[in-house]
Amino acid sequence: MLELKNCSVSFGPPSNRVDVLKDLNLTVEKNEFVAVIGFSGAGKSTLISLLAGLQKPTTGQVLINGKEMNGPGPDRGLMFQNYSLLPWLSVNDNVKLAIKTVFPKMSKSEVSDKIEHYVKMVKLDHAGTKKPHELSGGMRQRASLARTLALDPEVLLLDEPLSALDALTRSELQDQILNIWENDKRTVVMITNDVDEAVLMADRIAPLTMGPGATLADEFKVNMERPRARRTLNDHPEFMRLKTQITLFMMGLNKNSKNDQKTPLIPMPDIRPRDFALPSANIRLKNKNNQPTTAA
Amino acid sequence: MIFAHMKFFSKIKYPILKAIDVSGLTFLSPVVRLCYGEEPRVQMKKISQWILIPICAIILFIFLWAYGSTVVKTKSGSVPGPLETLKAGESISKFGNYEKAKEEAYTLTGPERDEALKKAQARLGKMDPIVKAATDQVGGAKAQYAEVIKKRTSGMTSRRDALKKSYSANQSARKASLAALADTLTPGNETAYENFMKEVKDHTDKTDLEKEELATLAKEIKEIEDEKSDDVAKALFAQTRAAEERQFLQKQIDQLTTQNKGLKIETAQAKIQEDARVLLTLTGPEAVKAAGKIAKARSRLVKTEESVYAGPKTLGYQIKRSILCVFAGFLIGAFIAIPIGILCGLNSTFMAAMTPFIAIFKPVSPIVWLPICLIIASAVVPSPDDSAFMDWLWEDAWILNHYDINPAFIASAITVALCSLWATLANTALGVASIDKDHLNVARVLKLGFWPRLFKIVIPSALPLIFAGLRISLGVGWMVLIAAELLSSSEGIGKFVWDQFNNGASDSFAKLFVVVFVVGIIGLLLDRIMIVFQRLVSFEGSPTAI
Repeated sequence: MLELKNCSVSFGPPSNRVDVLKDLNLTVEKNEFVAVIGFSGAGKSTLISLLAGLQKPTTGQVLINGKEMNGPGPDRGLMFQNYSLLPWLSVNDNVKLAIKTVFPKMSKSEVSDKIEHYVKMVKLDHAGTKKPHELSGGMRQRASLARTLALDPEVLLLDEPLSALDALTRSELQDQILNIWENDKRTVVMITNDVDEAVLMADRIAPLTMGPGATLADEFKVNMERPRARRTLNDHPEFMRLKTQITLFMMGLNKNSKNDQKTPLIPMPDIRPRDFALPSANIRLKNKNNQPTTAA
Repeated sequence: MIFAHMKFFSKIKYPILKAIDVSGLTFLSPVVRLCYGEEPRVQMKKISQWILIPICAIILFIFLWAYGSTVVKTKSGSVPGPLETLKAGESISKFGNYEKAKEEAYTLTGPERDEALKKAQARLGKMDPIVKAATDQVGGAKAQYAEVIKKRTSGMTSRRDALKKSYSANQSARKASLAALADTLTPGNETAYENFMKEVKDHTDKTDLEKEELATLAKEIKEIEDEKSDDVAKALFAQTRAAEERQFLQKQIDQLTTQNKGLKIETAQAKIQEDARVLLTLTGPEAVKAAGKIAKARSRLVKTEESVYAGPKTLGYQIKRSILCVFAGFLIGAFIAIPIGILCGLNSTFMAAMTPFIAIFKPVSPIVWLPICLIIASAVVPSPDDSAFMDWLWEDAWILNHYDINPAFIASAITVALCSLWATLANTALGVASIDKDHLNVARVLKLGFWPRLFKIVIPSALPLIFAGLRISLGVGWMVLIAAELLSSSEGIGKFVWDQFNNGASDSFAKLFVVVFVVGIIGLLLDRIMIVFQRLVSFEGSPTAI
């Protein structure tokens, strides 16, 4: 169980302190899939750093299984937004580094079995010996997923894992992650900016309000049976309802935030652009009937 | 085109191209691509740009050099042109070959020795007429040239003699008239005295002018006489070559006979056996004396057996020793710079503590470090007789064998280290400090300890920059080393330069030019080696050197 209790994170000197996150409360039950959705710049990455232990809260508490969290650790596998694979190691070696660190006493053959297992799980077994720069974005993200899974973490923290990918790769990877999670249940917190993705994958969706001083608004529960079929999703009334509801909520947030911004209005000078168009009848005639104009 | 259809060759195309890329010899890749018939026009364009143009530039440079060398005259003769330099290089390599042959001759034994001796003697027999012919040629050329000079200067000399004669006649005439004038002077007559003064001044001025004119003429004659003739130079060169070969053959025969190691050992052994036989017949104090003699002879024999040929140092030896010295200094520098650089990169407090030292010591010239190192090294480094370690270095160390690791060598190496470590230090610190924050976060999530974090994340990530620094260091070290050797008289290329500078031989100036190319080419090769290492440790998106 993962808990955030009244957490705030602020940066800057005391005289000019900016609260990035304010009064955050979140409880993630065991084996639950929670998605945190928010706009870019709202502080999503700070939130996941908080959960991973990379960032300490300025005030409040982060609890894991009821105990205060003390720094990062392999029990909370963090999958980074920009892959963070070590570029001088092959895919296999990246996974190996994770396994060797978490299971230092494992025998050589066990380690290689495990590498094979996880690399196969993310369908990268054909590219195990390749270096990250030889892989596409989607393959890199899968390698990163394999490395995170190899830690055998209690909690899986996914920091916008799919936002850098194209739509097709993205849906493929969504299915893969869901598949892996369903076969081997564990606690997952996923950060995303895609409403569809959140509704498709999560049990619960916590919207992050606009920063600065972002906090978590009332959550949406996803009451959809699993496995969720991507093909019939658009006909699923619950999916459509949630999607609309969340989208409207998020758009409302955006609007509120814009209203909140107290930028003074700058009056624009009262001028009209001058018309530089040539008074040539020819040109007007040509454009009148939507004729294809050829470049002179 | 040639290789495109053969399966084996098409398989190795990309490995070849990759090897070329890694070694930094990218100018070769269009040639390879052309061989595979890949876009011939593009490749031809690249070849003409990166191979033909440089070749043209080199040819142009050689012509300019040849022209320039005829224009500039120095005290040590004219500046050597490309041909002289080539000849000097040839004579350096010939000297090296001679020394090698002598060294071989020293250790030859048995029938091999006899055969070599026969060959050398046969050649030596032919040498005398050759040397004589060459000497005659020189005499002839000199006489011929003297004739030419005489012809050219004869007009001038006769003019000079005539002038001399007429000037001295003029002078004595003027002196006589002055004496006559002096007699007519009446004391108190100021105008008369003034006139007399004028006359005297006139006389001295004229005499000076005449002297000057004669001196100019003599200088012109001297200039013509001093001109060097190509024929004489050629004849002298051939004579020197022949004389050198004869001398070499004599020395080689010495090494095969009187100086020969095998023969020396044989005679010594025979003598010892003889003495031992005599010893068997002796008793009392005579026996003590004879036994002592034998013991001494035996220890001398051991020394002879261990001895190696001791000849003058060849450029090949100096090059090897310089390379050994630069790597010794480079490794010392790297062992200091990399750990300190890593600490600087990891810890800003340590960096702050080190900054003043780096800032102050970095710009110090090798010329300043060298004497300090020399004094310290000669005080601290024990002589091989006193220290087992130095003795081992001197006598038995596998790679250092016969390279005479003396204080001058160590001082040169330390100077190289002190001057070259800064580039590595700065690059290592930069590489460590600029590690991708995400990679450090990976280390934090994996909860890596200090050492695993250092060896699994920090060093691999900084390695490309460390090697970039090492590459710069090796280049700097090579430049510093030559100067250090020159000043410390440590055997090496620098010593060779110094010897040639002090040596008045006709081709020593040209030999300095040879050294320029030797040093340049070795420096280039060292750089290439480091580039290969640097490419091997680099990864996509790795930071580049400063």
